[in-house]
Amino acid sequence: MLRAAAVAAPRVDLDMQDFPPRIATFFTGTDVAPTPDPDTRSPAAFLRWMLRQQWQVIALSTLSCLLWLLPLTFGPYIFGRAVDDGILAGSTSALLGWAGVMLAVVLVGGVFGVVFHTLVVRSWLISLYGTTQMVTRKVAQMGHVLPRRSPTGEVLSVSASDSDEFGALTEILARSIAQLVSYLTVAAIVLTMSLQLGVVVLVAAPVLVVAAMPLLRPLHRRQQVERSRNSELTSLATDIVAGLRILRGIGGEDTFGRNYATQSQHARKAGVSSGIWQAAVEAVGVLFSGIFLVTLVWLGTRQVQAGELTVGQLVSFLGYGLFMVGPIRTFFELAQKTTRALVSARKAIAIFEQRPPWRDPADPQPLDGSREIVDDLSGFTAHPELLTVVVSAVPEQSSALADRLGRYLPPDTDPVGEDDGDGLKGRAARRARADRERRRARIAARDEEAATREWGVRLGGVDLSAARLVDVRRQVLVSDTSSSLFAGTLQDAIDPHGTLTREQAEHALRVANAEDVYDALPEGWQGQLDERGRGLSGGQRQRVVLARALAADAPVLVLVEPTSAVDAHTEARIAERVSELRGGRTTVVCTVSPLWLHHADRVVLLRDGQVVAEGDHADLLAHDAAYRNVVVRAMDEEVPS
Amino acid sequence: MTDLLATSPDTWRDRTLDPPVVPPELAPPTDASWGERWHAFRQRHDLRRQRAEDVYSASRNPDRGWPVAGNKEVLAFFKDLFRTRRRAFAALVVLNALAAGAGLVVPRLLGELVNTTVEGTGRPLGQLALVIVGVVLAQAGFTFVAQRTSTLFGQDLLSTAREFIVRTILRLPLGAVESASTGDLVTRVTRDVGTMSRSVQYGVPMAIISLLTVVMSIGAMLLNSVVLAVPALLTFATSTWAVRTYLRRAPKAYITEGSTYSRINTTLTETVEGARTVESLGLSGKRVRAGDDDIDVSAQAERYTMSLRNILFAALNFAFQTPRVITLLVGAYAYSRGWADLGQITAAVLYVEALADPLDRLISEIDRLQVGAASTSRLLGIAEVRPDRTAGDRLPDGIDLVGEDLRFAYREGHDVLHGVDLRLAPGERLAIVGPSGSGKSTLGRLLSGINRPRTGSASVGGVELVDLPLEVLRTEVALVTQEHHVFIGSVRDNIVLAREGSTDDDVRAALSAVGSLLWVERLPQGLDTMIGSGRFALTPAQAQQVALARLIIADPHTLVLDEATSLIDPRTARTLEGSMNNLLEGRTVVAIAHRLHTAHDADRIAVVIDGRIVELGSHDELIRLDGQYAALWRAWTS
Repeated sequence: MLRAAAVAAPRVDLDMQDFPPRIATFFTGTDVAPTPDPDTRSPAAFLRWMLRQQWQVIALSTLSCLLWLLPLTFGPYIFGRAVDDGILAGSTSALLGWAGVMLAVVLVGGVFGVVFHTLVVRSWLISLYGTTQMVTRKVAQMGHVLPRRSPTGEVLSVSASDSDEFGALTEILARSIAQLVSYLTVAAIVLTMSLQLGVVVLVAAPVLVVAAMPLLRPLHRRQQVERSRNSELTSLATDIVAGLRILRGIGGEDTFGRNYATQSQHARKAGVSSGIWQAAVEAVGVLFSGIFLVTLVWLGTRQVQAGELTVGQLVSFLGYGLFMVGPIRTFFELAQKTTRALVSARKAIAIFEQRPPWRDPADPQPLDGSREIVDDLSGFTAHPELLTVVVSAVPEQSSALADRLGRYLPPDTDPVGEDDGDGLKGRAARRARADRERRRARIAARDEEAATREWGVRLGGVDLSAARLVDVRRQVLVSDTSSSLFAGTLQDAIDPHGTLTREQAEHALRVANAEDVYDALPEGWQGQLDERGRGLSGGQRQRVVLARALAADAPVLVLVEPTSAVDAHTEARIAERVSELRGGRTTVVCTVSPLWLHHADRVVLLRDGQVVAEGDHADLLAHDAAYRNVVVRAMDEEVPS
Repeated sequence: MTDLLATSPDTWRDRTLDPPVVPPELAPPTDASWGERWHAFRQRHDLRRQRAEDVYSASRNPDRGWPVAGNKEVLAFFKDLFRTRRRAFAALVVLNALAAGAGLVVPRLLGELVNTTVEGTGRPLGQLALVIVGVVLAQAGFTFVAQRTSTLFGQDLLSTAREFIVRTILRLPLGAVESASTGDLVTRVTRDVGTMSRSVQYGVPMAIISLLTVVMSIGAMLLNSVVLAVPALLTFATSTWAVRTYLRRAPKAYITEGSTYSRINTTLTETVEGARTVESLGLSGKRVRAGDDDIDVSAQAERYTMSLRNILFAALNFAFQTPRVITLLVGAYAYSRGWADLGQITAAVLYVEALADPLDRLISEIDRLQVGAASTSRLLGIAEVRPDRTAGDRLPDGIDLVGEDLRFAYREGHDVLHGVDLRLAPGERLAIVGPSGSGKSTLGRLLSGINRPRTGSASVGGVELVDLPLEVLRTEVALVTQEHHVFIGSVRDNIVLAREGSTDDDVRAALSAVGSLLWVERLPQGLDTMIGSGRFALTPAQAQQVALARLIIADPHTLVLDEATSLIDPRTARTLEGSMNNLLEGRTVVAIAHRLHTAHDADRIAVVIDGRIVELGSHDELIRLDGQYAALWRAWTS
């Protein structure tokens, strides 16, 4: 009802955008009303879309920037008039009048300086936060498909650094427009005062900026060297820290300490060399602007002596002389930042334009997790109420089976980035770009093909592609070796949805034999786990992941190598408890550990991805040579001697 | 066994009652008068300040991770750096003063020029113009030399500071390195070194230069005309309070703001890297909300710094802009009274305008220095970790490793080992088995001299392991961990670790013992080939061979293999079998066994349960004993 009313009477939204912006694009899993998707047809279109989203803020910040610039635009003129009409003419009223005007201009400028700053922060952060939100939602929408197509680092850098370029663009755009208006105003003022001097001022400003250009190129080159030396230095330091256990345990502190010191000195030299160029650029700047000022004054005094210029006007010119450099610099900045924003926009588009390959079926079938699950490709069947262990000499084949059972696309692609690390220019760059686009499109087409045709795994006779993907995820839970933990409390880790009772959570922890993790945290359930479970040992992490998977209580549970980092004692205990806990529901475990096999209701042997034998562990061990080979070899391989 | 989950009912929490990440008091009122709005804003500002203070004090007193140094240590550190560079520092000050001085003469000369033009009282125009050109040239020259000195000074300071930090890290006590997370250290050597660099490299020299310019400008204004300078300077002074408040609060606010952004990045990184986990557990909505929450928190930090800047700007705008009007009025009055001429007024106005810039810069540099100091305190905190051992001068006599009455606690009052006795026969293979948390890894760490036992002794050849100098310890016992980390460096650098003076022949011998000589010699530059992250990439098997070759070079008589974290990856185990055999040959081996076959093949097996050795003997003996081990073995093989 409410919704209908809202549609019937569209309200013009006069509220200006604020930060953080309300972004609800791509991902529809939350209860927030969706917002429009970004325009990903081209980098320029994307930037236009982004600016249009908050045009009111940008327009207002342009206006306040203009008012902020008022003292700079009119200050010298007013001061000149005060000298002429007030001081030299000896008129107190004229002096007070101009002083009043000056005061007003200064106050308006001061107030709008604060307003401009507020609005700039606002527009900057709308772009920055908005980009991060869009990235998060894109990741949520794409799930495991996104890492197949785009490198993780690139997805993150769109949020962490490209977003900043978009923010910078909104700021420089407002400032450039305001500076342009103010430049034109000053041009009009100086030209009416004196044509000759006005022309000198207008011409000199761009000349001053352009004249410094030849010095800037070598400076930028040196800064680039400095940056790369510094980042190399950082990677050396990170490397030392990452291998610190070895360095302190086995030795090598001197060698790597020395390597770091050498690189640090290289970085110092690069820094000095770029610093000296910087010094040269600044010195030349001082020189140029000084000479310009002298020229201006020289010409001005001669005109004053000739009676063509008043003293006040000369003073005004002194004030305006260096003002003009500001707008010119701003225009260069605009050009630079626009270019950078376009590059960033291209990277953002590469992420945002991805579409999930899945199509919900027109007539979705319900899934029944309490029925058997069958994989056509391998001939694998997992019966309900049984703990089935999948044994394979090649671990990848078991995980491929697990992926199929859970309707996951296999991690078999080479993600294509958009990072211009190759430093190509012109046509070569365009070709490389087109090539990357083609490769990404190829992966996307492949995904789509695999995701839309019949999947080949049936749960209770229904092919997984005939059901909605959310239903598949709800019925079949695959916990593979890449399963990760998230920062938060232990309670969040075991019960991410907040739906368990304490007893259920405790039970899950006990079954996974992860009570020691609880015990190690003084705050118990509220103990903080670091990001990705860093700080826990490999075995602890694995058991917490297992507890979480068990607590989710999925009708079909597929565990891939759930205890590979756990010792034999604990593994035996876990295997026993899991088989007890899962009694009555379908459970598939991919492992070759005899301690699991011992508790298996059924064992399935895979070879070349095909089921070649199935039965009871003891039977297979006794009668199947191939099976014995795999299991015994697996045991052998774990022996270091 | 006590129930480890005994406290569970006390710590479990109903999360539906959790407060929102941003308290409702931080939302601005929607329907309120201007007065109420202003009042609400003041309250929000105070609340945000409180949050910033909390984040800051948490960052200074972390409850986990490495320590953080105090302000006193930071100050002492920099004082020391300055003391050793007195000359360079003096040159920096003098040259920058000259550059600033030359810059300050120009307005005076321009003023004189106006006088000459209007009243004909100054020097002739041509001469004046030449003087100005001369001064400008000098200013440019001084600027160049001064900036060059600043760069040399800043870069020298920076490289010394960062090399000191890395040296400190490389001296961290072995026990601390083994038990603490390196994540915090990584943050310190990347983000904190970055922040410190910026403040040392630019912040320190720029702050000095700006300060000089400000002081000298004020001097020049007074020299130009006291009457014109004093009112302007008094107006400048009105901003003192605002500036001081800002400087007191801003660093904490920026540190808080920075931490909210790393939080945003961490959450997003987790979401991206765990995309599949998120999808499989249906956590997408939660992760989106977690990201939105982070942004909400960050937006509050941004609003706080924005308000701080706005308050400062308002004060500075008033303090710096009104002097223009004041100078004009005072100037006119002084002119009419004959206290000042037109040239002085012109110069005074130019000075007033020129002063705003260095003052602005000074404030932001002090800001930067304070943020840098916070990072430096985190870096210097690393140096505060006390060494966990002082090496004695006794050297071991013999190679027999003995543990007696070993007890150890990570948390006071929580012993994980309760008096373990263990004597290793030279050349024997001992397997330690036991459930997780039983203390078997701890036993391994005591036997390899990483931690000092709380009571009892772990000794080799009659000398306590932890009393040996590290370089001796390493050639006696080595703990073999999973970390087949390949360092950025040459192949040689990667292998000679334990004996850094090894010859190329030693390295080749070690490589050939682990069967890697062939592929190493085929590398583009042989032993000098740069490997490690971003350089020539090794296969996992090659990386493991390099790790084994390190141990061959170290040549300890005893190896402690912690299998739970061992370097044996089943996928490459086959190819490494020979290499491993060569390494173990003729050495005493303590294997903290994960897989029962390791135990089966060992000479003796120690079953550790709850911090005690409950069974000790050969495989056959333990099977006959029919205890814990026998039960496990049956489960494994049946």
